[in-house]
Amino acid sequence: MTTEQTAVPLARDQYAKPLVVALGSGCAVAVALGVYGRLHHPTHYALDVAGFSSPLYAKAWLTTAAVVFAVVQLGTGYRITRSAAPAWMAAVHRWSGRIAILLTVPVIVHCLYALGFGTYSARVLAHSVLGCIFYGAFVAKMLSLLQRDKMPKWVLPVLGGVVFVSLIALWATSALWLFATKGVHS
Amino acid sequence: MSRRGPLITLASVVVLAAIFLWANTVAGKSATGTVAAGAAATGTASPAQTAKAPLSALYAGRSSGNEVAVAVAINGRKAAANLTPGQGGVIQLQGSVTGDTVTLTGGNGAALSGSVSGVAMFGTVTLGGGQQSFPFSAEQTVVEAIYTGRSSGNEVALAIATEGRKAVAYVCNGQTIEAWLQGSVNGNQVTLAGKNGASLTGSLSGLALFGTVTPAAGLNFPFSAELSPRPAGVYQARITVNGLATRIGWTVLPDGTQLGVAVAGQARHPAPPLNLGTNSFTLDGGSFTAAPVAGQDTVVSP
Repeated sequence: MTTEQTAVPLARDQYAKPLVVALGSGCAVAVALGVYGRLHHPTHYALDVAGFSSPLYAKAWLTTAAVVFAVVQLGTGYRITRSAAPAWMAAVHRWSGRIAILLTVPVIVHCLYALGFGTYSARVLAHSVLGCIFYGAFVAKMLSLLQRDKMPKWVLPVLGGVVFVSLIALWATSALWLFATKGVHS
Repeated sequence: MSRRGPLITLASVVVLAAIFLWANTVAGKSATGTVAAGAAATGTASPAQTAKAPLSALYAGRSSGNEVAVAVAINGRKAAANLTPGQGGVIQLQGSVTGDTVTLTGGNGAALSGSVSGVAMFGTVTLGGGQQSFPFSAEQTVVEAIYTGRSSGNEVALAIATEGRKAVAYVCNGQTIEAWLQGSVNGNQVTLAGKNGASLTGSLSGLALFGTVTPAAGLNFPFSAELSPRPAGVYQARITVNGLATRIGWTVLPDGTQLGVAVAGQARHPAPPLNLGTNSFTLDGGSFTAAPVAGQDTVVSP
């Protein structure tokens, strides 16, 4: 390392470290979840959420609720990345996001603990991969928020978009499939 | 303040996931304790139930409309099942036992959930990509089972017949190595012994039996075997050929593959092919009949 380089850093290099840390952590989480799901011997059962006909339906409805909050996320996120959004909108964005992600936690624990990373059909494989991507992107986005000022402007919308799209796809490959094949009930 | 928000969010996700994982682990270890993991979560383990699935048992039965035959094996907290629909092959399921509840899943959305009530099991099987569900009932059967398999290096094939707590086995390579074994089943442990240092030890795990077989002193082969339908089994014939007392044993695998050895005095020869429809075979121009061996039979003279 020469003194010249430290003395005259390129402007875009400011971005490098926080961005690498955030994206690297996100990738690590995604890979770790996938590896755990593959290595952990599925128990084929886990704790149930009361009030549903089966764990599958409990998970489907939790995911559906998360998707509703995710749609709120999309709307508010779209506004606050542009200027002149009212202050309450940022709060709505934060809290809808927290509720959405917490709603998915019981689901992912059941998925990973009871079922694991499945590859036995295209739907299941896609769902498994998307689950890892979703949580990886979520972690990357949270870490990016910490260093928001040092990030390129596109980072948060892109990560938020990945989180949103992967959640919708997760829902489509699980809850929507369940509702379509076994009917919509609790 | 807002700088801490994302960290709090991340931390709350980690904490909630840890709580759920911990609750699941606790529930898994003791299927009895009531677990309170948040207000909304309750155990599927039905802790109040006093009826417990037995440690080791086989259940056989059918769905109420006779659409599918159901065979469930329980071994401790593990369970396995074979579903045999009217058409199509056997569907294999794996799963676990929690209290008196049996939960099994297989490929393509096949599943079985049942509860054990005395010597019966009641529940639902799901077939066809999760589309069709049938209620079923099954009864605990006198455990008369055939396990067949091969050693890991394919040196020998073996068939084990169990009946209650007694077991017999025949292990051979179809050429010169062969041994008759006799012993018992205790829980999930299978222990058999024969002449000339022959032995077999194994443990039952779901529908499978894993262990080591020693057809003769100094020959040790790890093996795996699984519960097999007829014509799989141990077959035996004791005949006199040219004035020589000859004993022939066959190990028959479920696909009809058979390996057998004929022993006359010190001579050993590959066994003649056995007609699995009639249990008959021909040797030196004579026609003879073999008999399937059951777990209660005596195959090793005391």
